[in-house]
Amino acid sequence: MDAILLKLTTAAYLVAAGSFFFFLFRGEPAARLPTVLLLFGFVVQTIVLTGRFFQEGFAAVAVMGDALLFNSWMMVGVYLLVQLKYRLTILGGIIAPLAFLMTFAALAVGVAVGDIPPALQTFWLPLHVTLAFLGNAVFAMAFGVSLIYLLQERHLKHKKMTALMKRFPPLESLDRLNYMLLVWGFPLMTLGILTGSLWAGIHWGHYWSWDPRQISSAIAWLFYGALLHGRITAGLRGKKAALLTMVGFCVVIGYFLWGDAIFPSRHGGRFE
Amino acid sequence: MQNEIVIVGLNHRSAPIEVRESVAFENPYIRDALAQLRAYPNIHEGVILSTCNRVEVVATASDGDSAFNDIIAFLGEQKAQRHAGPLDEHIYTYRGAEAVRHLFRVAASLDSMVVGEPQILGQLKEHYDAAQQAGTVGAILHRLFHRSFSVAKRVRSETGIGSGAVSVSSVAVDLAKRIFDRFDDKTVMLIGAGKMGDLMARHLQSHGVHSVMVTNRTFEGAVALAEKIQGSPIRFDDFSRYLKMADLVIGCAAAPEMLVDAGTVERVLRERKQKAMFFIDIGDRRNFDAKINDLDNVYLYNIDDLKSVAEDNLQERSNEAAKAEAIVQEEVRSFARWLGSLEQVPTITALRQRFEEIRRGEIDKSLGAGLKDLNAEQRAALDDLTTAMINKLLHGPISQLKKNSPEDGEDPTLYISALKRLFGLEEK
Repeated sequence: MDAILLKLTTAAYLVAAGSFFFFLFRGEPAARLPTVLLLFGFVVQTIVLTGRFFQEGFAAVAVMGDALLFNSWMMVGVYLLVQLKYRLTILGGIIAPLAFLMTFAALAVGVAVGDIPPALQTFWLPLHVTLAFLGNAVFAMAFGVSLIYLLQERHLKHKKMTALMKRFPPLESLDRLNYMLLVWGFPLMTLGILTGSLWAGIHWGHYWSWDPRQISSAIAWLFYGALLHGRITAGLRGKKAALLTMVGFCVVIGYFLWGDAIFPSRHGGRFE
Repeated sequence: MQNEIVIVGLNHRSAPIEVRESVAFENPYIRDALAQLRAYPNIHEGVILSTCNRVEVVATASDGDSAFNDIIAFLGEQKAQRHAGPLDEHIYTYRGAEAVRHLFRVAASLDSMVVGEPQILGQLKEHYDAAQQAGTVGAILHRLFHRSFSVAKRVRSETGIGSGAVSVSSVAVDLAKRIFDRFDDKTVMLIGAGKMGDLMARHLQSHGVHSVMVTNRTFEGAVALAEKIQGSPIRFDDFSRYLKMADLVIGCAAAPEMLVDAGTVERVLRERKQKAMFFIDIGDRRNFDAKINDLDNVYLYNIDDLKSVAEDNLQERSNEAAKAEAIVQEEVRSFARWLGSLEQVPTITALRQRFEEIRRGEIDKSLGAGLKDLNAEQRAALDDLTTAMINKLLHGPISQLKKNSPEDGEDPTLYISALKRLFGLEEK
């Protein structure tokens, strides 16, 4: 049952991604169908996740496949929320393919039972995982917004007016949204790291274990922190801010996808 | 009564402006002119379209050829009041499906000087309304014009014919809209009193800009211009101090030297915390350093850049025009079908009647002469025989009429008028 629904989710995201591009190139960037498809995928995925939650509890997120699922679910959820307020349908053209890739990877890796020792299964688990993943989801959005900013900026600088460019929002809106996402994402990430650290401190007695994901998230945290600081005090904005936002997300996602596989750690399912 | 759609007109391609002006109808007189047009006995309905780029008379008439002559004479009368000389070489005429196609193309802005310009549809509606008020619109022109309005809308929504600014100042506004998401909190600085700069500033004001600073080599000039466009004047020596407040900077000064260099802008950007700036160099001379465009968060477009964007957009429009032509073609066919169906039923009835009359006449004649000895049974057989013959003979032509799906480019009214002429159905 889960497997079928999961395939359905993946298919819905793929079709949604396709239709975002279809409508974008047809000159109807505000078409509703792609968002409806994405919402459909999101609902099915919610059912899948709820099912797994009742089977496994939060332990499910401890393995790669489920973590991807949970993360993509949050990302789509954040997108749908942002869409409600900002009507940035074009962003769906980036979020939908990302969601597809993540759910597809989850299908390929397979979802298995998380092997978390019962002693670790306290309220810290859902708290830490939810906060950390929400932060990731917000930064994924910021990545998308930055990418669109850079495309638009490039066209303007090179003095080429294309039809596509008119379907992108103005730079000013993109930059403002990018800033908003940073303002939301950074505290979420901070709380994600703090809760993880406290949890480790309570369980293992040390707050910091140089776990590869801890290192990478610390790097990303410093990075985003500097970016936020620059934006607030030094007038860092526009192209540079967009570029830095994208680099920051690459640190997050790059480690998320490959780090655990290369360096087995607690985040990769080893809880020795 | 046959009603053929005819158009006689002249436009920016067929006639020079003096000739167009000489036959143009001033708005207040259109009503009178329409009454005058309607007075021609051959003309049943009429609409006059008169804009700076075209004068067209759209009418329905019993006889297309004489309608052409009537309308040309009618236009000539207008012309005679102001100008002498033959109109014929400047005039084009269309009838039937070709006339429908022409009107649809005009409405869809395919026949405009700037293809895709949106004003023509409004003008068409205005002149149609005038004719309706004057009482010169009947069922056919009513349908024809309403159809042309919806063709225009369809073309606009299904093709990119109206997209992309094609004038320098609207291109600049379009670009500004790619950079800024609102204008009411933006400040414009206008440097120099060139005409284009003035126009540009007004265009931006119409898009919501409230705050405009104006500077000029002479302070009096700045004050005068500022009064004209409700801006605030600034002394020329001071303008670089105020530059940090400007989001959009328009250069239109006839100065021989560069007025703003990249170094200045770099300093200004630091002062305004890298908030985006848009420099528009719109005068004949370059006022702004080209290197300004290399700075982050600053965009510089000069008049040539804007012109080249406008040209690209125009090219894009003509690419889209091919799609629009296909839509027009499709709509002409469907309109022609409707037009055909108007006369189809009466024509079929008239044709049957005509044949029946001949049959009855000939039978009566024969029964009174050579066949008078026939008994009732034989008379019935004769009746059946002749009826069957006529039905067989008529089957082909009638089913052709009813099919009503003409081949490409074929006018479906063709068969109807042919039948009318061949069998003398008109006089009935």
